[in-house]
Amino acid sequence: MSVMLTKFESKSNRVKGLAFHPTQPLLAASLHNGSVQLWNYRMGVLVDRFEEHEGPVRAVAIHPSRPLLATGGDDYKIKVWDLRPQSRRCLFTLHGHLDYVRTVQFHHEMPWIISCSDDQTIRIWNSTSRNSIAVLTGHSHYVMSALFHPKEDLVVSASMDQTVRVWDISGLRKSTPNTAPGTFDTFDAFSTVKYVLEGHDRGVNYAVFHPTLPLIISAADDRQIKLWRMSETKAWEVDAFRGHFNNVSSAVFHPKHELVVSCGEDKTVRVWDLAKRSAVQTFRRENDRFWVLAAHPELNLFAAGHDNGLIVFKLERERPAFALHGDTVYYVRDKYVRSYDINTGADVGLLSVRRFGSPYVPPRTLSFNPAERAVLLTISSDNGIYELTNLPKDTVGEVKDSSVDGKRGVGQSAIFVARNRFAVLNKTTQLIEVCDLTGSVVKSIKPPVQTNEIFYGGTASLILSSTSSVVLYDIQQQKTIAELNSPPVKYVMWSQDNSQVALLSKHTITIASKGFAQNTLIHETIRIKSGAWDDAGVFVYSTLNHVKYCLPQGDHGVICTLDNPVYLTRVKGKTVHCLDRSARPRTITIDPTEYRFKLALTRNNYDEVLYLIRTSNLLGQSIIAYLQQKGFPEIALHFVEDKNTRFDLAIECGNLDVALETAKAIDRPECWARLAQQALKQGNHKIVEKAYQQTKNFDRLSFLYLATGSTDKLLKMQKIAEARGDPMSRFHNALYAGDVPGRIAVLREVGLYPLAYLTAKTNGLEDLATEILEDAGLTEADVDDVPDFGRASLKPPPVVTATTNFVWPAIPGGESFFDRALANGNLEAGAEPHLNGERAAAAASSALDDWAKDEEEQDLAADEDGWDLDAGGDAHAEEESVEGEAQEEQEELGAGATPGPSETEIWTRNSPFAGDHVAAGSFDSAMQLLNRQLGIVNFAALKPLFLSVYRSSHTYLSPIASLPPLELHLRRNPAESSLSRVLPVAVVTLRQARSELAEGFRFVSGNKLSDAQTTFRSVLQSLLFVVASSNDEAKEWRDTVTTAREYLLGVSIELERRRVAQEQPDSVQRSLELAAYFTHCKLQPPHMQIALRSAIQVFTKANNTATAAKFARRLLDLNPDPKIVAQARQRIAAGDRNPRDAVEIAYDEFTEFEICAASYTPIYKGSPAVRCPYTDAAFLPEFKGSLEPLTRLTEIGAVATGLPAPR
Amino acid sequence: MESSDLYNVKQQFFLGAFKSLMDRGLPDPSSEDYTPILVYKARAHIAHGDAQTVSSLIPSDTENFALKAVSALASYVAGTGSTESALEELRDLCVEIEGDDVEATEREKGWVRAVAGTAFARAGEVEEALETLGAETATENLEAVAIIIQIYLSIHRPDLARKEFERSKQWAEDDLLLQLIEASIGLVTGKDGYSDSHSFYTEQLANPSLSSPHLLTARGVTRLLRGEIAEAKSDLEEAVSQQGGHEDAETLAASVVAAGLGPKKDGVEELWSRLASTYPNHPLVESVNAKAEQFDEFAAKYEIPPLAIPTAA
Repeated sequence: MSVMLTKFESKSNRVKGLAFHPTQPLLAASLHNGSVQLWNYRMGVLVDRFEEHEGPVRAVAIHPSRPLLATGGDDYKIKVWDLRPQSRRCLFTLHGHLDYVRTVQFHHEMPWIISCSDDQTIRIWNSTSRNSIAVLTGHSHYVMSALFHPKEDLVVSASMDQTVRVWDISGLRKSTPNTAPGTFDTFDAFSTVKYVLEGHDRGVNYAVFHPTLPLIISAADDRQIKLWRMSETKAWEVDAFRGHFNNVSSAVFHPKHELVVSCGEDKTVRVWDLAKRSAVQTFRRENDRFWVLAAHPELNLFAAGHDNGLIVFKLERERPAFALHGDTVYYVRDKYVRSYDINTGADVGLLSVRRFGSPYVPPRTLSFNPAERAVLLTISSDNGIYELTNLPKDTVGEVKDSSVDGKRGVGQSAIFVARNRFAVLNKTTQLIEVCDLTGSVVKSIKPPVQTNEIFYGGTASLILSSTSSVVLYDIQQQKTIAELNSPPVKYVMWSQDNSQVALLSKHTITIASKGFAQNTLIHETIRIKSGAWDDAGVFVYSTLNHVKYCLPQGDHGVICTLDNPVYLTRVKGKTVHCLDRSARPRTITIDPTEYRFKLALTRNNYDEVLYLIRTSNLLGQSIIAYLQQKGFPEIALHFVEDKNTRFDLAIECGNLDVALETAKAIDRPECWARLAQQALKQGNHKIVEKAYQQTKNFDRLSFLYLATGSTDKLLKMQKIAEARGDPMSRFHNALYAGDVPGRIAVLREVGLYPLAYLTAKTNGLEDLATEILEDAGLTEADVDDVPDFGRASLKPPPVVTATTNFVWPAIPGGESFFDRALANGNLEAGAEPHLNGERAAAAASSALDDWAKDEEEQDLAADEDGWDLDAGGDAHAEEESVEGEAQEEQEELGAGATPGPSETEIWTRNSPFAGDHVAAGSFDSAMQLLNRQLGIVNFAALKPLFLSVYRSSHTYLSPIASLPPLELHLRRNPAESSLSRVLPVAVVTLRQARSELAEGFRFVSGNKLSDAQTTFRSVLQSLLFVVASSNDEAKEWRDTVTTAREYLLGVSIELERRRVAQEQPDSVQRSLELAAYFTHCKLQPPHMQIALRSAIQVFTKANNTATAAKFARRLLDLNPDPKIVAQARQRIAAGDRNPRDAVEIAYDEFTEFEICAASYTPIYKGSPAVRCPYTDAAFLPEFKGSLEPLTRLTEIGAVATGLPAPR
Repeated sequence: MESSDLYNVKQQFFLGAFKSLMDRGLPDPSSEDYTPILVYKARAHIAHGDAQTVSSLIPSDTENFALKAVSALASYVAGTGSTESALEELRDLCVEIEGDDVEATEREKGWVRAVAGTAFARAGEVEEALETLGAETATENLEAVAIIIQIYLSIHRPDLARKEFERSKQWAEDDLLLQLIEASIGLVTGKDGYSDSHSFYTEQLANPSLSSPHLLTARGVTRLLRGEIAEAKSDLEEAVSQQGGHEDAETLAASVVAAGLGPKKDGVEELWSRLASTYPNHPLVESVNAKAEQFDEFAAKYEIPPLAIPTAA
């Protein structure tokens, strides 16, 4: 036993009595000055004081199960107190003792209190009747202690008469004696002295039973502690513990181990081995004599009172040595190495380490080597030793002891640093030795700082903990990689992926990245006990009384409270695995929502954030405050019900709609004022107007109307001002409105004739001026000294843009991911995003991608708004409101009855495809999309398609009689109910387009070329509205477009050839060329055969036998009918006979070429060409900017972005 | 507890079996059920587009608030006389029933509010309708709630609709109307793939005590929403045949949509032109026409370059 761990110390008057609370971290201490203190030794605070005794209080006890405290003092009184925090007071006082009361104790089950006194008696009191029920007499001197047996009906007492007595009180239980006062003598019959233990040479100060064994320990002024054993019939002295060199005040059994703890006036606390009766440890104090000792009934915790206060101490470290590998915890309990599988809960003993170091001391650390399945333990006894042992492969039969084949050595700290290496720190020599598994030293390191402990520091690295810093040290290069200032680091935890490390000190946690590059420091006022990493990268740690979390950037908070400290081993989802103070595996279920939420926020993993918002009950001021503080007021907005907070948040994130709504609900001038300010910033003058109206801020309202050029409203303001009888306001409005007669009228009315006159005069209103003069009782002559000011040029500025009708220029509505996702309060559960480990990063990046996409869409939406100048209804409503007394505003809507976003709006938001926008009825944006993506400019032909797509996407139903029917919207993903993902029905599908294409093929085969042309054109039109949902579909779409284009081109060429043949029979050359080009369109084999045969025919007719033969050869390659084969061979033969061409044509079959779809001339490879942005058809450069002749939809050569990626 | 007759009448009314309700006789005027049944019968007439008949059903000198309200609605819907005066009358009635000494039962007051709310909603006076119906208050008038919810749905606030619905679930038990409400909410929100709505209409179709083509149409629409086009078509065809070949606007409109989504789009234009000519005021017709105009306007914004014609061919 090398340590006595002081947990708590207090300074006070001499402490004479001590009592632990059985369940709470409370300690009662009675003082020599008459006070009784109640300490919370965990928090280190004085909870309460009981001061009713006069003179020293020596006796104190806490009831084992009820909130009662008993004290006994030198005022002969025993007081019983209520311990409950809300009613701490003295319940009653027991009178009877005739001298100092030395000890009191509650019985564990009966309502009895035992006390002893210098009046040489022991009394037992019934705390219910509050009477003395027994007086045990027999001692011939002060009785220094009297205690119940923990189970049996026995009492042990110690006295200055040098004896220890055991009393049998079973009679007391059998029949409750007459408790009437004055029947003093009858008590004796119920309690008899069983044994008188003689042996001490001086007075005995204390005697106590062993909790389970038939043993008594006594402490006396003869400096000895004696151990007594008793049987049914007798009791005898077993042995004495000698060592104290002054009076021994008290001695107690260790509640768990075979130890005795004593204290005395020689200023020591001593620990003894119960079996060997030898001293194990001595703890000395300089000046303070010890007077009292108390053992916690459950825990490894003792308290000792001395001259100047008290100490609370542990005799051994409780923290079990453990190491985590995967989901298995290797730990030491009761000097056995055990493994605990946190998934299955299997808990097996693997190795005994009983003979490792002192038997009383548990190993301090354990390091596990999975490759070798070996453990490396250290223990602090014997000045620090380590032991390396292999764990058995299987655990059948008895577990072996590590002493059999373990390798030991000296060292205070030892850890595995590699599969076959471990490092040992010798603190005294300050040498770190790296050893192989046989224990031979392969490398010695002199650490750069005074090192107290070493930890694993990542591959080939060590973390060295010194008193003021922590060093990351490279073993191979023997140099310091990084150094952080920190209080002594006691524990080190690496995250699952070894990317982060937590360095735990007594009151601080440093979270550092792998190379100590970045780090954050967290301070705790309470002692930090342990910590473990969550799979998501959150560090969860325990203090004495809390489980807390800490995010990598330093945010931390409480997860739950703890009754007793625990040692966290692993955090998995909602479960925290830990070892309790007796090293038993436990689990604690926690709610990780808060930290997962915060983590997701800091990592910008908005999917996760959204998921958490939807699925969990995240509420409360703290979360709202957090969101606000972290700059996410718009998210906070979704949590808040309270309208004032909502308003604040809405203003902060500039969400004017919500702000307006809440301002209406609150309806207080300051809210309106703030709303006005914010709306003004955003340029939303309609809301500004509303706010001013609400607060009747006429001046500003007028100025606003001036600024927005709303002359009609200015006139109304003028009227209102008139009604209000406010000439200044009237004047203003008149001035703003440029209403000169109005101005004059005001001036006249208020009697400012000179101004009125001049105004009239300078504005050329001579008649009026004269009138004013008359009113003023003057004539022209009276004012001839007034200089001529000339014509006034004062006029309100002309309205250039009717700003009054637009909300413009507005700051683009910051509609975020969340607004959209949370639109409509639609918080139905979404799919759970992955969170764990590395996957989180991927999730975050994909969330970012989505984000980016959203941005794009927003742009679109914003554009739309730009076009969609909705100036109708709203402005109208407001005019009315101005008309009526200005304060009579529009009727308030029922609190939330503002219309929400319609499904069609959502569709347009959710999709970047023209087809979807058409279905949503947003033709405008659909056209923009088509124009931008595919360069469509000529929409006229698409009108029927637009309308039929729109028509087929909406239906109506009246569930309630006589009401207007509900508009319902057909979705293509009916199983999807999350508004952020709904999309309109696919009216035109790829399949339909392809079947239409097949129809075109039939027309080609049937030689109905103009029908075919129409059909292919219509296919290409339909394809514009197809929304591809996958990459395959997108490819198929492109293929279909290309096929349709080739056929359309081919058919058009052939039609042109026929036209040429008919209208310009002389132009044989052109006709031949076109026939040849036709064969170069990419047609399917059957159609290619038609093209070739037609070419052969035409060429043969023109006597171009050589080329005809070439076509025939190509025809043969297509394996046509035997009949056609025969014809083809004929042509080839003819060509061979006569290998020349009568007509020269522009046709070079050997060079690759495309056909200009406008001029039907070849564009040889390498020559410049411009293209149709939709079908990719090629054109000669001269056609750039013209309407594409095949589809007649696009502008040739226009820049287009192509279709967005399918989704 | 209401009589089974009245229950039956209400059921027919709510489930849109207007035709059978219109054909139904009235009980003896002294009967307790006389007024309620008359109210529903008259409302069935209105709903069926036969508002003129109401004047012959309800004596013009009636003192009953509910009947007065119904006839006001009838004249509003029929468009006889000034629509504004009909609305004014309803407003007056709403105010009157708030009085303390008014001789009307709670039930009658409820009808007045429901009828007035209907009229206001038709007139587009959403706030007024909601206020009249007692939205956001603890009204226990299920008819009013039904209308409130439909109004909410029509202004795209399914969240509020659901809130109102959840509230009424607490007191309205499993009323038929409540189920209907739930079905309507389902239709708009698409919750669980429209399963609530679909099962509700399927269930009611199997209801032996009434048959209503409206239910078939409704299920057809639901199936359309579920993407079951072929099934929807068969429901709609059945509805047409139940209506004796003269389909109502709703069925016809749904048929247009169904045909437009079929693999072969034949017959669409024929159905469409029939809908457009027979029911020019149907919202689908109106909105498509409006969109057609918009199309021209928007399309005109794009400059069409000259067709690429080879110059020297």
